[in-house]
Amino acid sequence: MRRCYSTKAIEDIESELEQKGPEYWKYLLTKAMQDKSLDVLEHFTLTLLVEGASEADVGVLVRSFPYLRATHLKDTDWLFSMNARTLVEIWKDSRGKDFASLVVSELDSRGVSPIFNELAFGERLHAG
Amino acid sequence: MRVKLLYHTDFDALKRVLVQKSVPFDPEVLLDHVVYMFEIEDCSRVTTHQLVRHRAVSYDQESQRFSAATREGVVIPPNVASNEAACKAYDEALKMVYSTYEKIIAAGVPKEDARYILPSAIKTKLVMTLNARSLMHMVWQRTALQAQWEIRELATTLQSLARDATPELWTRIIER
Repeated sequence: MRRCYSTKAIEDIESELEQKGPEYWKYLLTKAMQDKSLDVLEHFTLTLLVEGASEADVGVLVRSFPYLRATHLKDTDWLFSMNARTLVEIWKDSRGKDFASLVVSELDSRGVSPIFNELAFGERLHAG
Repeated sequence: MRVKLLYHTDFDALKRVLVQKSVPFDPEVLLDHVVYMFEIEDCSRVTTHQLVRHRAVSYDQESQRFSAATREGVVIPPNVASNEAACKAYDEALKMVYSTYEKIIAAGVPKEDARYILPSAIKTKLVMTLNARSLMHMVWQRTALQAQWEIRELATTLQSLARDATPELWTRIIER
């Protein structure tokens, strides 16, 4: 995560992140979310195989969220790509909440980005 | 200038998805889904002004609002470096600009306002994330002979790193 006020070389940023560990990542992500500096989330990208989605459902999503990329593979199968900022925006919007919840469940089940999931989608954890 | 590929989508995993779904392999299908993240260091703000004209890209760039500029951190174009008179004039102008920048800051003006006097030659750092379709468009435009030397150098390096990371995608697209 390169913050705009950092003058460090990327290797120094990487080793700092490594040394300081998960609590520091949590601090950085919390600050980014609190400050609404969601641009840093755009560098975390997700590519998903989506099965069983109708053309109408996908149409609603891609028209509502222009940064979501969808490619039709076959029948009701699709390849979706989005970044984490888009996922947060979809999750906050009633038109995409169900879809975003499925994506977050998938991330959780695979152990992908647990700190981010907890911070960005924490409400669902409390609700659960 | 230094460019590092920080991340790219697992192209083979995407190909396996196509096989699993019995979808014929077409590199065009994957262009929106293969993503690259690059760290770019020590290129000039002249070049990043050109770079950010490519819109479907995410950028996070070092800000002069917060980081202090130094005289050593400037790019000298080869046409200036190889011309003694131009080089002398360039150096004198930089000395004057940086001395003024430091005086303005010493007078208590915040860096974010003092930076108005800084040159576009100043070196910068940024992280850039984009998909293969956007990168190919950028490479196509910015490796053209009409493009300026620094962004051409950058685009050539980006292409080389992306091709090394996902050779099949680039080869198949170029062959088409």
